Amino acid sequence: MSLLRFCEWLSRTPLSVSLREGTYEYPVLLILHVISIAVFGGMAVMGNLRVLGLAMRGVPVSQVIGQFRAWKWTGFVILLITGTLLAMSDPMEYYGNIMFWISMLILLLAGLNAMAFHFGAYRTVAAWDSAPLAPVNARRWAGISLFLWIALIFAGRAIAFF
Amino acid sequence: MLLAHILQGVPEALPLNPIARWEWVFPVVEAIHICGFTLLVGTVVILDLRLLGISLRSQPVSRLAKELAPWIWTGILIQLTTGPYLFSGDPREYVQITAFRNKMLFLVVALIFHFTVIRRATAPAADSAPLGWRKPAAVVSLGLWLCVLLAGMWIGNL
Repeated sequence: MSLLRFCEWLSRTPLSVSLREGTYEYPVLLILHVISIAVFGGMAVMGNLRVLGLAMRGVPVSQVIGQFRAWKWTGFVILLITGTLLAMSDPMEYYGNIMFWISMLILLLAGLNAMAFHFGAYRTVAAWDSAPLAPVNARRWAGISLFLWIALIFAGRAIAFF
Repeated sequence: MLLAHILQGVPEALPLNPIARWEWVFPVVEAIHICGFTLLVGTVVILDLRLLGISLRSQPVSRLAKELAPWIWTGILIQLTTGPYLFSGDPREYVQITAFRNKMLFLVVALIFHFTVIRRATAPAADSAPLGWRKPAAVVSLGLWLCVLLAGMWIGNL
């Protein structure tokens, strides 16, 4: 089954119809989606700024990253669920929206980047935990992460304009 | 009526204002506005979670507040430049939107709360003798910024 066929089928499912035609479903999902972006994104950005040596230099890196991990994961899961439901409200619309696909690509890259940081530079965090400035390979990932986050907000907002 | 008086004084958008001339300017400035909000919320949430005793408990509150201050200011600066510029695209329309007026009200209250109550709760003196009302204050702070976000989303009918 092609993706187009899948989207056609999906848009006819009762869930998709009720999300599309209900009065409250879409706004409530959108509010939760944006709140989770602000909380999850805000914490991710502050973690990146710490690794880059630009914020909270006096706080160990592992504390900034470790103590907000549960919050970030919670936010991320809400972000994914609400995002999936928002996309399901009108699959045919999003299927043809180039900015939607660019957003998904950026999200994927941000996820891969976070994994690369976690399983790469972050493994040696004990050695540079309290240093105001992280090693260059850690800073590189943090810089890429920051850039991807800003790009994701731009692309995500642009979905509504295409 | 004070409001009617204010409305009369609000000018039309200037024809040469880029945001009124080109369609793409609004979404670009709005995206910067969302980035600024994310930064502001990120810093405020970290400080409030510390006040609530949930995160970064080994850090003295006053030191964390001092380290976050430049980023809270950066966020406020981004918001107070992009926000009024978005407003300049259609001032007459905005002042009549209830959600816009609510947002301005919440914003003023949130800023005053931050620079009075939160500032006192995060002052060096509070490190050795934590103030009893610091947790309710953190909850109020989170609630106020949430109201600013919700009213802001309502301006464009979500």
